[in-house]
Amino acid sequence: MAKKSADLLPGTLDMLILKAVSLKPLHGYGVLLRIAQISKDVLDVPQGSLYPALYRLEHQGLINAEWGESENKRRAKFYTLTPAGRKRLREETASWNRLVAAIASSLNATPDEV
Amino acid sequence: MADEMRAHLDMRVEDLVAAGMARSEAERCARMEFGSIDGAKDDCRQARGVSFVDALGQDLRYALRVLRRSPGFALLCIGIMAVGIGANTAVFSVVNAVLLKPLPYRDPGRIVTLSNVVRTPAGAHALAKLISVPDFQDWHDQSTVFDAMSYYATRRVSVTVGTSAEYARLTRVTQEFFRVFDIQPVAGRSFTADEEQVGAGAVLVSSAYARQHFVEPSRALGQVLRVFDRPVTIVGALPQGFDFPDGTEIWFPATALASPSVTQRTSNNRLAIGRLKRDITLPAASAEMTAIARRLEQAYPQSNSDKGIALTPLLDDTVGDMGAMLYLLLGAVGLVLLIACANVATLLLAKATSRAHEMAIRAALGASRSRIVRQLLVEGLVLAIIAGVVGLVVAVWGTRALVAIAPAGVPRLAQAGVDGTVLTFTLCVCTLISVLFALPPALQVSQVDTNDSLQASAGRTVVGGRGRTLRDALVVAEIALTVVLLTGGGLLVRSLLALQQVSLGFRPEHVLAMEATPQNVQRAKAFFTGLLTDVSVLPGVIAVGAINAPPGNVDSTSTYWVDHLPKELNMATAPPAVMSVVAPGTFNALGIPLRRGRDFGEGDAADAPRTAIINESLARQAFRNGDPLGHLIFCAFDSLEPMTIVGVVGDVRQYGPAREASPECYLPYLQHGFNNATLSIVVRTSGDPGFLAETMRQKAHARSPDVSVKATTMDVLVGEHFAAPRFRAILVTLFGAVALSLALAGIYGVMAYTIAQRSREIGLRMALGATAQNVLWMMLRQGGQIVAAGLLIGLVGAAAMTRLLTTFLFEIRPNDGITYASVVALLGVMSTLTIYLPARRSSKVEPLIALRAD
Repeated sequence: MAKKSADLLPGTLDMLILKAVSLKPLHGYGVLLRIAQISKDVLDVPQGSLYPALYRLEHQGLINAEWGESENKRRAKFYTLTPAGRKRLREETASWNRLVAAIASSLNATPDEV
Repeated sequence: MADEMRAHLDMRVEDLVAAGMARSEAERCARMEFGSIDGAKDDCRQARGVSFVDALGQDLRYALRVLRRSPGFALLCIGIMAVGIGANTAVFSVVNAVLLKPLPYRDPGRIVTLSNVVRTPAGAHALAKLISVPDFQDWHDQSTVFDAMSYYATRRVSVTVGTSAEYARLTRVTQEFFRVFDIQPVAGRSFTADEEQVGAGAVLVSSAYARQHFVEPSRALGQVLRVFDRPVTIVGALPQGFDFPDGTEIWFPATALASPSVTQRTSNNRLAIGRLKRDITLPAASAEMTAIARRLEQAYPQSNSDKGIALTPLLDDTVGDMGAMLYLLLGAVGLVLLIACANVATLLLAKATSRAHEMAIRAALGASRSRIVRQLLVEGLVLAIIAGVVGLVVAVWGTRALVAIAPAGVPRLAQAGVDGTVLTFTLCVCTLISVLFALPPALQVSQVDTNDSLQASAGRTVVGGRGRTLRDALVVAEIALTVVLLTGGGLLVRSLLALQQVSLGFRPEHVLAMEATPQNVQRAKAFFTGLLTDVSVLPGVIAVGAINAPPGNVDSTSTYWVDHLPKELNMATAPPAVMSVVAPGTFNALGIPLRRGRDFGEGDAADAPRTAIINESLARQAFRNGDPLGHLIFCAFDSLEPMTIVGVVGDVRQYGPAREASPECYLPYLQHGFNNATLSIVVRTSGDPGFLAETMRQKAHARSPDVSVKATTMDVLVGEHFAAPRFRAILVTLFGAVALSLALAGIYGVMAYTIAQRSREIGLRMALGATAQNVLWMMLRQGGQIVAAGLLIGLVGAAAMTRLLTTFLFEIRPNDGITYASVVALLGVMSTLTIYLPARRSSKVEPLIALRAD
């Protein structure tokens, strides 16, 4: 069952968390599951770096945290996206796409294009 | 945070269990996946950023740990700072009590004194506090800016309480006096309209006086005292603490006592005070009063020409010249504090350089420069606060010492103590100086080159370049400030010595002076005649006399004319002279030389022709080189009768050693009245004058049981004039001495430290051929440069600053060469010694040992 999993590039974790939270308010574990889900299990988030990233994003004002009750009646902290966070997500996504397009075209260059 | 992560783990476990894993297996798996929880928590904290308060707490704890690591060093710094802070706080508490605290009356800023402004012979304007009653009446009736205005006169009087007679301070006041202070009696009542009439006998007393004699203010009501030879009843007691002016104990209505001079506009013998209306500013009130003065000038040109009115806020009036002296002391002690700061800064600098290793590691681990600087500042602040607390203890003791040695007559001095204002001052000083002495080392050390410092051996070969300049500069500053302080102290000491050398004009040694006031004014002359006879036959008595005010105090001044009275008497332009009433033999008793003619004798009795004796100054002023004997003199004292000059005596410095002798006219006591029926019996004794005091007291009471007496010696009276200059000289010299020890300690510390740092270099030099002599010279030259720079800057500073001392110097100029030369010599010799000792040690270093040591 060797999955083809890719390591997260530095800096992309923040982006993924913002995306995950943008769809619906989630607690930490939920974010983990969501990212696994929307990446079709390709992206593997190291659990130790999840919470520091969440705290960092909260400190920067991109997500909001609130204590609430989870599905199985547990007390958990739920994170929502702030307007600033939404804006950041848009910008990051745009620049990521630009970067990816450039690299992809570079890597696919054939000898006679150089 | 822990809750959140636990919830996360639980949910993971649930999922794993749901997928089919065993619970214990699931828990282990979940925990392994998550990794270190504490590590995650730490990372979260890092990501969140540390709050300012947390960082401060961290710095504080670390600072305390650092201080505990080197207790000796910490104690040294704290000790030096505590002395500096303590001295400053002590002086400030005195400044606060005397100059800054508002007076204890309601809305004290509204209370002002009213004085005349006259033109002096030199042409300048001077304040003349004494005003006349007719002038006051016009001011009172014509002004619109005062809520209440009053005049008063205060003096020591003889009071009989029960069977004993003693001196008490009594003030005669007009009706509105207590309204000026907005004060009500705390027991009994104020004066009624009847009691203000002539001949009435009601008085108010202070709470202190009531407590002293009658246990309680309420018990004082109705008690009868004997003042001015008549019985008076106490009708009220004023609140605790009120004793305006000058510690008054008894208040008496001014109008109840007949006073012949109240109708004369030229008799300036009262003081005036008033409370301004609430919304009137001082300039506006002054303008109105000046207008009134102009009107009086035109209406009464003979007495009021060129007389203006000045309004002075009461606090300024009370403080007088004290302000200058106290601020001088505050400045001087502030210099000591700066020196102490510089000293601690050099110590911290030396310490910081040895902590360069530690700072480098912190920088390498990610501490920003501002973080390191903040850490060192907090260390400095902790040192300063601890020193502040210790300093407060020093201050409490110091304040008490200051109050004890201060000259008499400093208002509110007894209230000096550590209160809220003083504590705030101390706190501000601590914070300020902690920045002052912690910042240079902090900036210095945080600049450290990480690589160099981490290599431990690198620091030895070269002297810490940047640290050295700063350290040297601090020591130069210390020396300069010390020069300024020592110069100031030296000038004040020389001034004091000059003052003590001044010839007073009489001989105060072995002279007893007993002030006596009999109750009955009519029988006063008979009393004194009898007493003088009694005392002259006592054993040990060489000479006896009596005078209305012994030299050093002036009781009465007036104007005089010689040979004939001018048609138009103008008191404002006639020459002034001190008036003294004396008994025969007084010049002998005081040691005043008789230059011409004769002393008064039995012949100068009440019904004999009027005679007078003048002093040399008056003779010179009126007669140039001619012989004054036989000429007539007219004094505006109690009558304008012609008096024949029968003698000329030597000059006496009537106002004390600092002021030159004024012209003086002596009158025989049997031919004139004297103020208050009070004379001071002066007795020259062969032994200790103190022994005679008790006997004289008994003799006085034997003659008249209700006479108040107060005995002291002329030495004591003269000594009072030296109290203030001595106070200044002692304090500034003391500060100078403290500064000197701090500066020398600073020089020694820096030299010793530099030599220790350069021990390897010295070893190298010696191994390469330098002799011990060469090394010694090298060290001496280096230290000598610092000392020379400090001396130079200090001399320039001293020349500038000592100009502020001019008012306190007597016969010594601020740029007195001897003082400057002495200070330079003293500092030069002491600092050379201080440099020499460690330098000599360095030259004795064994080169091989020095080179090997690391």
